[in-house]
Amino acid sequence: MREALLTSAVGSYPKPDYLVRARNAYAQGKLDVQELRQLERKATEYWVRVQERVGLDVLVHGEQERGDMVAYFAGEPGGVVIEGMKLGGLVRSYGNRYYHKPIIAGKLRWPGPMTVDMWRFTQSLTDRPVKGMLTGPYTMVEWSFNEYYPTREEAVMDMALVIREEVKALVAAGCRYIQIDEPAIHTRPEEDFDMAVEAFRRVVEGIDCEFHTHICYGPIEKIYPDVLRLPVRQIHLAFKNTGFQYLKLLEEHPWPSDKVLGVGVTDVHNHKVESVEEVVEDMKRVLKLLPPEQVWVLPDCGLKTRTPEEAEAKLRVMVEGVQRLKRELGLD
Amino acid sequence: MLTTVVGHYPKIPNRPRPARLRQAIARYERGEISRQELARIEDEVTIEVIQEQVEAGIDIVTDGQIRWEDDQTYIARRLSGFNINGLVRYLDTNTYFRQPVVVGEIRHRETFLVHDWRFAQEHSPRPVKAIVTGPITLARLSQDEHYRDHGRLVIALAEALAPEVRALAEAGAPIVQVNEPLILWHQEDLPLLRRALQIMLDGVTCETALYTWFGSIERVYPQLLELPVTTIGIDLVSQPRNWQVLGQHTFPTDRKLGAGIVDGRNTRLESVEEIVAAVRHLTRIVPPDRLYLNPSCGLEYLPREVAQDKLRRLAEGAHAARQALGVEA
Repeated sequence: MREALLTSAVGSYPKPDYLVRARNAYAQGKLDVQELRQLERKATEYWVRVQERVGLDVLVHGEQERGDMVAYFAGEPGGVVIEGMKLGGLVRSYGNRYYHKPIIAGKLRWPGPMTVDMWRFTQSLTDRPVKGMLTGPYTMVEWSFNEYYPTREEAVMDMALVIREEVKALVAAGCRYIQIDEPAIHTRPEEDFDMAVEAFRRVVEGIDCEFHTHICYGPIEKIYPDVLRLPVRQIHLAFKNTGFQYLKLLEEHPWPSDKVLGVGVTDVHNHKVESVEEVVEDMKRVLKLLPPEQVWVLPDCGLKTRTPEEAEAKLRVMVEGVQRLKRELGLD
Repeated sequence: MLTTVVGHYPKIPNRPRPARLRQAIARYERGEISRQELARIEDEVTIEVIQEQVEAGIDIVTDGQIRWEDDQTYIARRLSGFNINGLVRYLDTNTYFRQPVVVGEIRHRETFLVHDWRFAQEHSPRPVKAIVTGPITLARLSQDEHYRDHGRLVIALAEALAPEVRALAEAGAPIVQVNEPLILWHQEDLPLLRRALQIMLDGVTCETALYTWFGSIERVYPQLLELPVTTIGIDLVSQPRNWQVLGQHTFPTDRKLGAGIVDGRNTRLESVEEIVAAVRHLTRIVPPDRLYLNPSCGLEYLPREVAQDKLRRLAEGAHAARQALGVEA
């Protein structure tokens, strides 16, 4: 029964001001890498303690060392570089927001462990399990320019081999849960969905670890129930942001008994902190369709766009809601 | 065989050049500068990007749509009847726009595109093409809470855009281009598009164009060629199969083709040889004097410097192709 309604988080937490300043200084060559790493670890420890005192069951390291989930692996300042990738110029994503879009400029190769040190450091701080955090091969390629591979498919399959090596390194270090995010997977499902699933299979096949994936904002209805083909134990979706409309999909095509549903119960793009009652009521709707053993409770997405106070408040409401629900259900 | 662009151009350059527009918008949003001051920066950046297109060797340029947040809201905010909602993904890109919501009768207020066009043409040694987002695309990418009838919404949009197009033509715009990428996903809208264009282009005597991108033309191509516009713009990069569709039909003698042959979404630079080969292939279908060469879509998906490199390469490729084929520009 212990394994019912576990709570966790999706990935990123907001960076404290001192770390934002340090990252800028480092990008401008005004801070050395040791100092940056030290501040990243200080911020990571802060978030570990927040998650512990709030009472999450499975922790994340908070991605204090990452700016963007793809560019981090392509040499953004302070980041790592997958062989064959480099950082491109600024491209606008919306409004007045720009990002450095990575470029695949050569054969993709694993450069050695990229995320293991940070995972090991974070796990050393706590007795609770810490998830390994990676970006999936389809999203890595879809959100990069491709100057090297003749087709998107070839790039995605080579990227899968790179991510697989990283997965193996995390598992060798003792990591029990690895979340591999694929938020771009619904970009062109008719053309690419099979390819994305095959690439994911190549990442995880034969590796003994519990794999999760997170897919956010986009036409989930276009990839459901196909998305259940992803070879993972848990699929996490942003329920709150869409008013729990995905429940209709689950009513039409039942969630399979061999997969866990990760339910996003707090909207990460809204400053308003949800109430405990809201979490309880929303989760009751989910539990009409699924047994609690098959459900984890998380925020909708990474919380990095909130203030540290909002992020903690959202986690707290989520955990309190789950505790109340467990009491009502006699699960505690 | 002239070179042109499809529409937008990256708004900010990379270091060491300053990101003036980004800074100005941020300062405007914080209340540190006035709307007039921001408009002055937009004007200056517009002049800059016209110069970059001209320097690259492009024959017919645009104002780069520097003032446009995206293809939809720039129009929607300036007509009556729209509210603007949250972010949604633009087609299969990793860019987002705020979704317009139709909440009342769509009406034209005062002309705005003609001001933009006049300003651009005054500062351009080359002809400037005027751009307007088409009624099918606007309707399909908006949420309709008022008409609740797609056909009526499209016609209302066409009627509201008609004064804008007429003003552009009267002001002397050499080409008015209607952007209709969404028609590729909604072939059922073709008769509606035809009626909408008749309304929008009524009495307009300048050259006109209808541009599409990203999608397959397979199900709409012959009907696209029957629409009442001079030029049909087709993306031959995102969908290589569009080449075959093009080859399967006789191109009408009273139309021009806007051929998107340089990838507006990938930084890989095409070689001059690739461009010459593409043009050779095209001229077997369309005679050179009825051919425009352009990128596959607007250039904002690329970093600014790469966008200019792409245009430079397009112009070089066009030049080499003219020589190889023995045709004039």
